[in-house]
Amino acid sequence: MTDIKNAPYRFPQRGNLSRWLRALVALAALCVFSGLACGAATKPVVYIAGSGNAALDKHISRLLSEALGDEAELEFATNDQLAVMETGTVVTIGPVAFSKVRQANRDLPILAMLVERTFIEDYTDHNPGQISAIYFDVPLILQALTGKAILPHANKIALLATPETVHLYERLIDQLPDFGMDARVFVVDNSEQLIPTLVRALTYGDFLLAGPDSAIYNPRTIKHLLLTAYRRNRIVIGPSQAYVKAGALASKYAPYPQMAEMAAQYLIQHLTSGRFPTAAYPTEFGVELNLQVARSLNIPLPERQAIADYVRQQMERAGRKPE
Amino acid sequence: MPVTNYRYVPRAYTRHPSLIGCFVDTFSNRDSFTRLWLLSGSLMLAFSATTCAQPLTDNATPDGFYGFSDDIPEVLTTTRLRQPKTRVPGSTTVITGDMIRDLGITSLAEIFRLVPGMVVTEVGSGTPVTTYHGTVHYEQRRLQVLVDGRTAHRTNLSDVDWLAMPVPLELIERIEVARGPNSAAYGINAFLATINIITRDPADTAGVELRAVRGSRDHARVFSSVGGAGEDFDWRLAYEKRKFEGFDYQIERNPDTGENEKAPFHDGHDLNVFTYDSRLKFSPDLNLELRAGVVDGIDEEDQFKESVASENPDIDVRDYYLHTKFNVTTSENHFFHVMAGYQNFDRRRRWAIELPYAAINCLQNGLSPFDERNYSDPCFAVGGDPVTARINSDSEDSRLELEFQDTVIFNDDLKLVSGIGYRHDVYRSETFFNGRGTNDQSRIFANVEYTPIQWLTLNAGGNWEYTTTTHEGYFSPRVAANFLLHPNHVIRFVYSKAVRTPDGFEQDPDYGFTLRDVGPPQYANLEGFRVESDASQSRPYLQTLGRELEEETIESREISYFGQFPLDQAIFSLEVRAFDDKLRDMISGLITFDDWTIDNNVSMDQKGFEVEATVEYPGTTFRIAYGYLDQDDWYDGPEILDAEGNINDDKKAKNVRLLGRLSVRHSGSVAVIQDLPWGLKASAATYWADEFEYSEYQRLDFRLAKWIHQSSYTAELAFTMQHYVHDIPVLSEDNNINQANQFFFEAGVRF
Repeated sequence: MTDIKNAPYRFPQRGNLSRWLRALVALAALCVFSGLACGAATKPVVYIAGSGNAALDKHISRLLSEALGDEAELEFATNDQLAVMETGTVVTIGPVAFSKVRQANRDLPILAMLVERTFIEDYTDHNPGQISAIYFDVPLILQALTGKAILPHANKIALLATPETVHLYERLIDQLPDFGMDARVFVVDNSEQLIPTLVRALTYGDFLLAGPDSAIYNPRTIKHLLLTAYRRNRIVIGPSQAYVKAGALASKYAPYPQMAEMAAQYLIQHLTSGRFPTAAYPTEFGVELNLQVARSLNIPLPERQAIADYVRQQMERAGRKPE
Repeated sequence: MPVTNYRYVPRAYTRHPSLIGCFVDTFSNRDSFTRLWLLSGSLMLAFSATTCAQPLTDNATPDGFYGFSDDIPEVLTTTRLRQPKTRVPGSTTVITGDMIRDLGITSLAEIFRLVPGMVVTEVGSGTPVTTYHGTVHYEQRRLQVLVDGRTAHRTNLSDVDWLAMPVPLELIERIEVARGPNSAAYGINAFLATINIITRDPADTAGVELRAVRGSRDHARVFSSVGGAGEDFDWRLAYEKRKFEGFDYQIERNPDTGENEKAPFHDGHDLNVFTYDSRLKFSPDLNLELRAGVVDGIDEEDQFKESVASENPDIDVRDYYLHTKFNVTTSENHFFHVMAGYQNFDRRRRWAIELPYAAINCLQNGLSPFDERNYSDPCFAVGGDPVTARINSDSEDSRLELEFQDTVIFNDDLKLVSGIGYRHDVYRSETFFNGRGTNDQSRIFANVEYTPIQWLTLNAGGNWEYTTTTHEGYFSPRVAANFLLHPNHVIRFVYSKAVRTPDGFEQDPDYGFTLRDVGPPQYANLEGFRVESDASQSRPYLQTLGRELEEETIESREISYFGQFPLDQAIFSLEVRAFDDKLRDMISGLITFDDWTIDNNVSMDQKGFEVEATVEYPGTTFRIAYGYLDQDDWYDGPEILDAEGNINDDKKAKNVRLLGRLSVRHSGSVAVIQDLPWGLKASAATYWADEFEYSEYQRLDFRLAKWIHQSSYTAELAFTMQHYVHDIPVLSEDNNINQANQFFFEAGVRF
């Protein structure tokens, strides 16, 4: 297959040609430089805008390709290519890829992968059917129930947020009473107040629930946050699989195969109906555990399946779906 | 929605991408990645690898910084290795700072009532003592006490001064008590147990904290701390004032009526403690801890506790310490530290005496006025102006401590900690040593943890130590096998041996009081006269002064179980320890100015079991600790004769009894901490020891606290009541309180 990215072609500038001519040229260019026999194409093409992380992009595309089977073919495309497309279905990997594609061509339908709900929600709400997403983050209620599964006696959750990110926890705090738990947000005014606020939060909570808040939880702060919590004998749940590897005790995460499977279904539906289903979380989540942390803190960890079962049962008992 | 303070977004935070952004986006923009790297500094170096590298499979192995961090709450004390309880070679009680505060415990020594097998009481003028499995009374020589790894007992008497310990309750992160001999890790003082007090890391106490406690018997405590935490430097400065009036009254004989009557007891204290803790971080793998502290104040002593005193011989406490530790992590599998500490315990204790001239005359003529045969005549014959003078028992002890400790983690199943240590003790006292004395100790230690198969962990460790006290070297080994029945259940078999060498005062005393400011003028020739202990013996035929002492030995066997049971709504933890200890050549006897009878003369077998259980329900913590001690003891020292040359069985029995004064058959505690609505938290606890020699101790505590979480501060208001169940004074008839109910109020705030 010809490498589209390095192909020596020139496109006319947008707006200089009439609409039909642009479409024709674009189609011809794709045919030529992708090496496809246009006349022989039997499967629709889904274009992928990658994150720039080659290994990740390759992994996602492989999973997606397997999930799509014969329903569609995947093609990586650059922003320049996507900018001149009239039609086509695009999968973006990560928030930056989504933003670039969206800015390059606002007419293209996009299925966003590896984006957090808070990032994509405005787009999906305003462009139903045309823009959709498989959320990458985990509903906080599932994280909270994961903490409860590990510490059955826990009923108070400490949360840290900045004034701008405090809204992340509103839904969670409303949901928790249904599960016999309470939470309190401790707002960090400035970087100097991070640890003093954490110390106060730990006097309240049975564990610290870390949400997808890069203002609080980032590579610069995580070590200090974790060690302070552990020295107070408080565990940290979330915000993601990566943080568990950095020392958090546990986190739910959306497995790539699950997300790819769900994305394939969304794509197939779009190819057949022209509309994406509503953006949603994956239906199943994995649990990442840091066994060494658990052993160090003398915390008896349930089996992963037991945690998953507990969370599912609690959600079913409360009649809720992740939202 | 319960939200605390709400002001503005910290700009510094918004520059940092999330971890998701990290792996998804940063590699597409090399410049921004570089900037982030520089901004985040060296910490980012350590974390970028772990946090940005989202695995592309769902079977990643957990790693991260956690593998080589050495300051998290695993059990640290027992072997010096960080070990989960399932791999620790012995039973270890961990008391968290939060539990101490939630139960309203009012002083440091009181904490140990929560530890199975430990008892706490007061001796002398309200001096707190605590011990594990008895065998001590005034001086707590057989426990190793560490504060952040620094040896905390005094050098000359190997005693622990809990009153003047520079550890405010608010700064305790946790206390680990490794129950059982631990000389394999800490050397000759870790004979019965090791207490390791771990204070809060300065990185965790940024901000300001204030607390005030006021209560019965003029109990007053004020604590304040201020600190900061940054990327390169964490620090904390703390101050605590401790004031207490002690017991309400003592029983003294009224010389006019000849009756025993209540008399005021001068046994309080008024101490000020300043501490400074900091950590300078050169890189994620290199940091320097620096700690310093000063204790200043008065520890009251009652004149009736001294055989000759015409005023209260209060102790002027002037202690200080410097402590530094250089921590180096060369890789996630190898780290070491170099520790250096210097402590100075300066106690000035001076008081006036008044003696009949006849007594001084006796001393000058080689007759002991304390000899029972000389009580009335000639040494206490009436007549002549009494001699007045001032004497002192000042002492100043210094300790220089150096230690190098190296940890190698070959893999998760094979870990080795090893190190060398050196201690130089200097003690100066005109009264106790007639000058100064020194003691040097050198040691080398190691412990290996090996898990050959998933269900078995083996520990083998030992400490070889040479001390100039006896000019001998000693090896203290420990071996243990932990059988993992289940990931949460373990049975341990532990065998260990330990020694305790006599301290400087026991071995090489030169005890005598020097008369100063002698009056009236006709006795001026007595100025500077030293009244020697060996010339002042009350029963010369019993005296052992000058006899060479040998080391005490203990051989200990332990079978223990630790298990955790996750329940539907709770976690139940249970630890049971059964022990069989053989203690030989124990040093017992009196060690007073006029009665020096100590010798290696008592042996004892101790058997029993201990239980520690915790259940944590939602909002409720229930904890129980119980210790049962069955002690057989007998005299096996040199023959003791009475004044007539006959075998003195009474004295033998007394030496045995002296060593058993704090050996309590039943002891324990039950505590419950309960969250209540409206930010209230209640706790109740009962502590008992049944029984000390003739008396039983039991106390009930109740505490109600109100937590207030506000926008910029968290505050706590609390009320504590202590109820003493028995009105019989414990151990001494002088330890009396007027009211069975004692009340305490406290208020604290953290910004």
